[in-house]
Amino acid sequence: MIKIEKPAWEKMVSHVESTFPKEGCGLMIGAEGVVQEAVPLPNSYSGPQEDFFVIDPKDLHRVDRESRERGLDVLGVFHSHPNCDAYFSKRDLEHSCPWFSYVVLSIKNGRFDHANSYRPDFDQTEAPKEELTYG
Amino acid sequence: MAKILIPTPLRQFADKKDSVQLPGSTVGEVLKSLTGQYADLRRHLYNDEGKLRSFVNVYVNDEDIRYLNKEATPLNDGDTVSIVPSIAGGSAGIASPPAPAVTLSKDEILRYSRHLIMPEVGMEGQLKLKSAKVALIGTGGLGAPLGMYLAAAGIGRIGLVDFDVVDFTNLQRQVIHGTKDVGKKKLDSAAETMLDINPYVEIDRHETALTSENALDILKDYDIVVDGTDNFPTRYLVNDACVLLGKPNVYGSIFRFEGQATIFAYPGGPCYRCLYPEPPPPGLVPSCAEGGVLGILPGTVGLIQATETVKLILGIGEPLIGRLVLYDALAMKFRELKLRRNPECPVCGDHPTITKLIDYQEFCGVPNQHQETTMQASIDGDIDPVEVKSKIDRGDHFVLIDVREPHEYQICNIPQAKLIPLGDLPKRVNELDSADEIVAHCKSGMRSAKAVEFLKQAGFKKVRNMKGGILAWSDKVDPSVPKY
Repeated sequence: MIKIEKPAWEKMVSHVESTFPKEGCGLMIGAEGVVQEAVPLPNSYSGPQEDFFVIDPKDLHRVDRESRERGLDVLGVFHSHPNCDAYFSKRDLEHSCPWFSYVVLSIKNGRFDHANSYRPDFDQTEAPKEELTYG
Repeated sequence: MAKILIPTPLRQFADKKDSVQLPGSTVGEVLKSLTGQYADLRRHLYNDEGKLRSFVNVYVNDEDIRYLNKEATPLNDGDTVSIVPSIAGGSAGIASPPAPAVTLSKDEILRYSRHLIMPEVGMEGQLKLKSAKVALIGTGGLGAPLGMYLAAAGIGRIGLVDFDVVDFTNLQRQVIHGTKDVGKKKLDSAAETMLDINPYVEIDRHETALTSENALDILKDYDIVVDGTDNFPTRYLVNDACVLLGKPNVYGSIFRFEGQATIFAYPGGPCYRCLYPEPPPPGLVPSCAEGGVLGILPGTVGLIQATETVKLILGIGEPLIGRLVLYDALAMKFRELKLRRNPECPVCGDHPTITKLIDYQEFCGVPNQHQETTMQASIDGDIDPVEVKSKIDRGDHFVLIDVREPHEYQICNIPQAKLIPLGDLPKRVNELDSADEIVAHCKSGMRSAKAVEFLKQAGFKKVRNMKGGILAWSDKVDPSVPKY
C-alpha cells in the first residue's frame, strides 16, 4: 500500500504531463509508506522516449543520499505511459526491481487519465497491483 | 574496513540498519561479508549463478564500480559503498497520438458505435485505428481473417502484399476469397471483400513477392507489419526488415492442428531469430500443401494476430511481446512460452552482424531456379504418366508403387499401384524384386523422387519416378481422378 500526499502527487502529474508525448519519470520519497515529496528526474534513455524511460543511476544515488541526510527514504519510482493505459508492461517487468513501488500514470493526449501502483516480484515474472491513494 | 549504505527496502533484512561497517579490501569481499552476516540479503543482490543481479548497481563513493574494477575494485578505510538499483521501463505501446486532422464522419460514428461506447477504445481509440497503417504480408490462410477483421475494425490504411492467384484448394480456409474468385488475383479478391466490409479503409495493393530488394521500401510506410506468410525465407526476411526498420512484427504460424503467435521485433523485445537462430533444413517442416492444415486453424491464429495488432494501436491491455502463445486445436489448449531478446542475436542483439537484408533463399537452403533445373535434369529416369498408362495398357511387366500415405490413397489412387508409404519403404523393401522394373509415384513427384533415390542406393537399377505424381495423372491420363 502506498499513499501519496497532495503536493507530491500534483508535482508528479504536472511533470509527466509536461514531458508528454515522451515518458516522464522520477522518484518518490517519504517515510513509512507515505510519499511526502516527488523528485522529477530526466529520462536518460538515449533511444525514442515515447515508450521507454531510464533513470540515471547517478541521479538515484544522489537522491538516495540527499533524502537519507534528511531522514527520508526513497519509497518508489513513478513513470508515465503516454496515450496508453497504466498497466505494468512486459518491458516494465523486465527492467523492474523488487525493492520499490512502481507508480504508473496514464497520460492521454497530454492530460492525466488514471494511475496504478505495482510491486514487482523477485524473479521479475509478476507485478501485483498494490493499493494506491493520492491527493 | 568500509561503510555500506543499505537501501531502505533492504533494511528489513539487515536488522533495520541503514548502514554497516564491514571488513574487506575489495567491493566483492565487503559484499561477501555483508551477505555472510545477513543471509537474506544474498538473494536480493545475487542471482543463482552468484552474479550481481541485473538491477543492482554498486557505487564506491560516487563512482559506479562498472567503470572501476567491478567487484575487484579496491577499498580504502573510510570509503562508502552504496547499493543502487537500476530503474527503467516503458509502455510498449504504439504511442503516436492521432493526427489532429483525422475525424470520423456521421456514417463512421454509426459503424464503429460498439467500439465508441467502450471507454477503452472510445473516439480517441477509433481515431488511432483510423490513423494507423498496417502492412499485411500474404492474403492466404492467416491473411484472410486478418484482412477482414482489420478492415472491419477501421484501420485507416492496409497494405496487402501478395502475388498469388486464388485456386480451389484455398477455399477450405481462406475465407476472404469465394468460389467466384477462383482464378482471380488474391490481391484483388481480398481487397474487394475488405472494401465490401468497410469502404472507409484505404488499401494499397503490392502485387509482388516480398524480396530483399523491395522489403524495406514497401514496409517503411507502415506502423505495424503482420506476417501471414507460410515459408521460412519470407519469415526471416519480414523479421529482419522489421528489426532494421524498428517496426513490430505481429507473427503467426500454423501447421496441421497447431498454431503459434507472438509479437517480434518490438524494440527491446525478442525477434524471430532470438527464437529460431537457424532455419530448419529444407523439406523437414512440411508446408500446408504437403502436411495439410485444419481449415479453421488459421482463423483462430490470424485472429490472435488481429487482436494484438489492434491492441498495439490502441495501447491497451498487455501486448504479446516476449510471450509465444502455442495453440493446440485437438486438445483445445493454449500454452505460453516466455521469450527473451538474445543479446547475442545476429540481428537484434547488442552487437548485430546482420545490418542489411541478405539472400534469404540461400540462407534457408532453398535451391534457386538455376539449381532446381540442374537438379531435375540430374534425375535420370523420370517417366511421364502417359507412358505409364501405355505400359499398363500394353500389359508390360512392371511394378507401380504408390509411396503416399494410406489416407491419401483413400482420396484417389491408380488401381494397379501397390501402396508402400515412403516411411515404410526401408522395412518393406524386401517386398520388391530388384530384377523387376519399378515405377514410383506420389502426389506431385517429390516423395517418389526420394523413394527412387532410396531404392537406387539399395541396389535397385531399374527404378523410375512418375513425373508430376497423381496430380499429373489426373491432368494427362484420367480426369476422373480427383485432385487434392
